[in-house]
Amino acid sequence: MKTVSLSAPTRSSTVKFRMPTRDNLVPIRVDVEVDGQRYRDAFTWNPRDPDSEIISFAKRTAKDLKLPASFVPQMLQSIQGQLAEFRSYEGQEMQIKEKIMPLKIDLRVNNTLVRDQFLWDIGNLDSDPEEFARTLCDDLNITDPEVGPAIAVSIREQLYEIASQSVSAMREAKVSKKRRAPEFASNSKAMNNAVDMFKYFGSKGSVIRKRKEWYLYAPVVDVVPNEEVVVVDTTEGA
Amino acid sequence: MATPPAATATNSAPTPPKPPYKAPPFSQPPSTAGAGKTETPAASTSTAAAAVVAAVAATGAAAEEPSYIITVPSYSAWFSYDSVSDTERRLMPEFFQGEAAAASGSRGPEAYKYYRDTLVKRFRVRPERRLTLTEARRGLIGDIGSVRRVFDFLEEWGLINYGVSLPGVKQGRDKREEPVAPQSSLPAGVSAPKKLCIGCRTVCGQAYFTCEKADITICCRCYVRANYRPGLTPADFKKVETSEDAKSDWTDKETLHLLEAVMQYGEDWKKISEHVGSRSEKDCIARLLRLPFGEQFMGPKEDKMQFETDDDITDESRAEISKRVRLTPLADASNPIMAQVAFLSAIVGSDVATAAAQAAISAQSQVDETNDSPADSSIGSPKEEVSSAESCYTNGFSANDLLKEASANARVQLEKERKDIEQSLSDIVDVQMKEIQAKICRFEQKELLMEKERQQLHYLQKLLFADQLAVVQHQCRPHAVTAENEADENPKPVLTS
Repeated sequence: MKTVSLSAPTRSSTVKFRMPTRDNLVPIRVDVEVDGQRYRDAFTWNPRDPDSEIISFAKRTAKDLKLPASFVPQMLQSIQGQLAEFRSYEGQEMQIKEKIMPLKIDLRVNNTLVRDQFLWDIGNLDSDPEEFARTLCDDLNITDPEVGPAIAVSIREQLYEIASQSVSAMREAKVSKKRRAPEFASNSKAMNNAVDMFKYFGSKGSVIRKRKEWYLYAPVVDVVPNEEVVVVDTTEGA
Repeated sequence: MATPPAATATNSAPTPPKPPYKAPPFSQPPSTAGAGKTETPAASTSTAAAAVVAAVAATGAAAEEPSYIITVPSYSAWFSYDSVSDTERRLMPEFFQGEAAAASGSRGPEAYKYYRDTLVKRFRVRPERRLTLTEARRGLIGDIGSVRRVFDFLEEWGLINYGVSLPGVKQGRDKREEPVAPQSSLPAGVSAPKKLCIGCRTVCGQAYFTCEKADITICCRCYVRANYRPGLTPADFKKVETSEDAKSDWTDKETLHLLEAVMQYGEDWKKISEHVGSRSEKDCIARLLRLPFGEQFMGPKEDKMQFETDDDITDESRAEISKRVRLTPLADASNPIMAQVAFLSAIVGSDVATAAAQAAISAQSQVDETNDSPADSSIGSPKEEVSSAESCYTNGFSANDLLKEASANARVQLEKERKDIEQSLSDIVDVQMKEIQAKICRFEQKELLMEKERQQLHYLQKLLFADQLAVVQHQCRPHAVTAENEADENPKPVLTS
C-alpha cells in the first residue's frame, strides 16, 4: 500500500476508465464444466495482449492439466467475454475521488484459509495488488505458493467492481443531467462504504488504530488438514 | 497440486541457493539421481568432462546440502541468481526498457527477477519432472502474459525443463531465440527511447503505429496482421517513423559471410541467413541486390582461371566484366555450370567462345578415341592431325573392320560350342546304353537260374508221385504177402503232399 492521502474528500477528477492500479490488468475468473469435469481458475490478464495469446493460453492450459479439447472453446468464450466486458467500459469516464474503501479477503486455497480486511485508497492510481499479495504471503509465512495469486485476483476483482460502478454512476449522472446529482448519486450507491477519513483524522483523532479494533483488521491464516478440505469442498457446493 | 516444501516456495529471496557453476557441454544428458531429493549421486555423473554443475538446492531446514546435479546447457552459462545478465536484458526488453525500466512491481526488472528466480527454483526442486506453465503461473503473482514470456524464455534457454522429455509441441514454436541469439546484436541502447510493440513484444524498427484510444504501440508487422485486440480498427492507428536506419549496418564481415553463403548454398536463403547470422532472409536478399555484381562473381571467377579460355582474358576486359555480366540473362541460372559457361562466354565475346567450343569438342573426341582401341588409333591419329574432317572418317573405317572381325570370331566360337555340346550329348547316350545292356545281362542270368530251379522242382514232384503209386499198389495187393511185407510196410504215407 503506497500512500494514504488526507486531503479533503471533495476533490475529484475524471479519468478514462482503467483499473485504479499501476498496471492495468484485468482479473479473470474461469469456471467451466464439461462432461462432469470441472475447471476453475482465476488469474490476471493484460488486456493489451493480442487475442492470439488468449487462444494459445487456453490450449496450453488444457494440455498442461490434461483436460479434453472440448474445454478449450468454453474457456475461450469465458475469457473473451470478460475481456470484452472490460473493454466496453474503456472509452468512458469514471470519477476518481480519493476514497478509502475497505477491502476484504476471504478465501480458501488448497489447505490454506485466509481472512483479512484492510483499507485501500482507490484514488491512488499507483497502487499494486500484486505487491500487496506478495508481502502478505511473506509476512504471514504462507507456504503454499498458490495463495498469493488468489489474493491478488481477489483484490483486483473488488477494485474492478468499484471502478465499474463509478463508471455507471457517471453515466447515470450524465443521463439525468442534474448538476448536483453526481455527489448524491455516488454517495447513495455502493460508495457508501467509503470511509470518511476526515472523521477519523480530523482535529481530534490519531493515526493509530484503537486497540479494541485491532482484531477486526488482523489477518487470519488457517492451515486446514486434508479431511476438512474435503468437507469444505462439499459444503461449498458446486 | 503438491506443494514443494519450505523455502523454495516462498517468493522472498531470503537464502538463495549457491549460484550454479559452469555447465557441461550442450550434448550431455542431465544426470539426476532418482526421484528422491536427498540422495547424493555417488558416481552417477555421466559427464565425461570434468566440469559439472552442482546446484545446491535448499531443502527446507537442512540448509545447503547438495542433493543432486542439475545440468545447464553451456549457452546459458551466464545465468546466476544474483543478477540479471545482459542476455536477459536484451532478449526480454519489456522488463528493462521503456517505461518499465523505471517501474517496479509487476513490470520492471524486479518483477522479471522474481519470476525467473521462482521458476528456476521451482523447477530445480524436481528436475526430472517437467514444469508446466499452468502449474508455475499458479504460484506466481503477476499477469499471465508476462509470466508466460519469462517461462518460455527460460525453457528455450534450458534453465527450465532441460533434459526432461518434452511433448515436442512447445519446443518447436519459438525457435527464433536459439543459441544463435547471442550473436544477434540488436542496436540496443544506442538510440534514445525504444518503442516496444505490444503485440509481439519486440523492439519496433523503422516505424510504428500508435493508437490514441487505447494508448497502444504496435510495430508494422502487427499492424498489418491486425495483431491487436478486437476493439480497434486500422483507422485508429497513426504511423510514426523512427529516425534510426538499421539498413546500412552491414559490416564487411557480414558481407563476406553473405557472399560465402551465396557461393555455398546458391539460393537457399534460409541457410544463407543462418550463415550470416544476424540478418534475416529479406535483409540478405536486399543486401545482395545492392552489391555491385562484379563482387559477387569475383570469387568463382578467380578459382577457375585455369580454364581453356584463359589466354583470351586480358586485364582490361576484367574491368568490363561488371558491365557485361549484367547483360547475361543466364548468369543467375541455378545451374552453376551453366552459369559459369554463360559468364565466361559473355566475358570473352562470341567469336572466341565458338572457337573455344569447337576446340573443346575436338579435344573431347580425341579423348574418346584413345579410349576405344589402342591399335587403330596409332594408325588413325597421324592421319587425324592433318585435318579434323578426315579423322572422323578414318575413325569410322576402322570401326567397320573391327566389327567384321568381331563377328567372324563370334561365329567360330559358336561352332565350337555346338560341337562340344554334341559330343557331350553322344557321350551321355553311350553311357546310358551301357547301363541298360548291363542290366539286361543280369536279368538273363537270373532267368536261367530260375529255369533250373523249376526243372528241379518238377523232377522232385515226379519222384514223389512215383512213390505214392508204389505205396498204393502195395496196399491193393491181396493180404497174401502181408505177414512178410509188414516189415517193409512203411507207415501209412501221407497222401497229401
